[in-house]
Amino acid sequence: MVLIVNTTSDRSITEELKKQIDEKKIDAEIVETDSMKISPCIGCNYCWLKTPGECSIRDDYEIILKKITRAGQLWVISGTALGFLDHKGKNIFDRILPIATMYLKFVGDQMRHVPRYDTRTDIGIIYTGDPEREYLEEWTRRAALNFESSSLGVYAKDEIKEAVSCMC
Amino acid sequence: MHVLIINGSPRIKALSNTDKILEKFTEGLREGGVTFEQYEVSDRKQWDAIRNAFSENRNILIALPLYVECIPGLLLEFLETVPPKTDDTKISFLLQSGFAEGIQLRCGEKYLKILTEKLGCNYGGTLVKGDNFAIRFFEGAQRDKVTGPYTAMGREFASAGSFETEACRKFTGPEIFSAPMRLMIGLVFKTVSKKMFTKIAESWGCTKPLDYRPYQ
Repeated sequence: MVLIVNTTSDRSITEELKKQIDEKKIDAEIVETDSMKISPCIGCNYCWLKTPGECSIRDDYEIILKKITRAGQLWVISGTALGFLDHKGKNIFDRILPIATMYLKFVGDQMRHVPRYDTRTDIGIIYTGDPEREYLEEWTRRAALNFESSSLGVYAKDEIKEAVSCMC
Repeated sequence: MHVLIINGSPRIKALSNTDKILEKFTEGLREGGVTFEQYEVSDRKQWDAIRNAFSENRNILIALPLYVECIPGLLLEFLETVPPKTDDTKISFLLQSGFAEGIQLRCGEKYLKILTEKLGCNYGGTLVKGDNFAIRFFEGAQRDKVTGPYTAMGREFASAGSFETEACRKFTGPEIFSAPMRLMIGLVFKTVSKKMFTKIAESWGCTKPLDYRPYQ
């Protein structure tokens, strides 16, 4: 399943995505977060050490987290600020920590958390605005390493066709 | 020199590893004759005061934990509300993480240079150091062993006015561990660390295995 999380209030992006996804018969779910309550991660570590796999913040992110555990791809549509994802987009990634466990191991030459679930979720970004694209591409590749997955790339909102070509 | 210190950790001050690091770091600043004021981004009631201080100060230090390869969402949210500066302000960063190797923090460090430019400021370097996850679980001498070395870095910053010195670069430690070291640490992960995390979890009232899957 392809999970698409739109953290912007721009529905034209998801409308266009839906059209192309339907045409290609891609199994996808779209979550619009503009009316949802999603707080930032507070680094309490409860999801690792007190309530394993569950976030202590009881808000609408739980809906997304449950879907991520069975999604082969996560696409985050995000606004940008200060050359990077804006805080709404970044919060989606910061709050993803419950899919990892506290346990550690080496993957290649670097430490990683042992994943909690068998599903590996590749990640892609569709952005509005004007980020430092080269950095955003590098960041997405690094972020994916944390989930033992791969980057699907970084696409501007007018590159939806290219993004959809990576969805399956 | 007077420094505005912003603790960018989203975790409350009492439990913030970054704050424990700053406690030791600022000892070094004091020894070097530097005065400072410190604010916490985790406390939204301080945001107006931090914005004012950001506007008034020309020597700023932002201390932060690495969150998914970059800066925490909460710090980003705050910084999105700060108007860019035009008065030759310098921002330096203290970036810390749980993962131990220097390489784990480089992507975050790279963004801090971009961020500085976006805020219209000059870059004063980043003090990069991992292996700090357990600070909140330690007390006394055990905690000091981890946080104590930051006092020397406070003195270094007081003297140089930035983190762009050889001593600060060396402070990071290894970029990656050697293969034999990885083998040894990997063994520790499977034995001692697992036991320690289970013990901490039990003390926090956890009743499930740490690899429990609530959504399957």
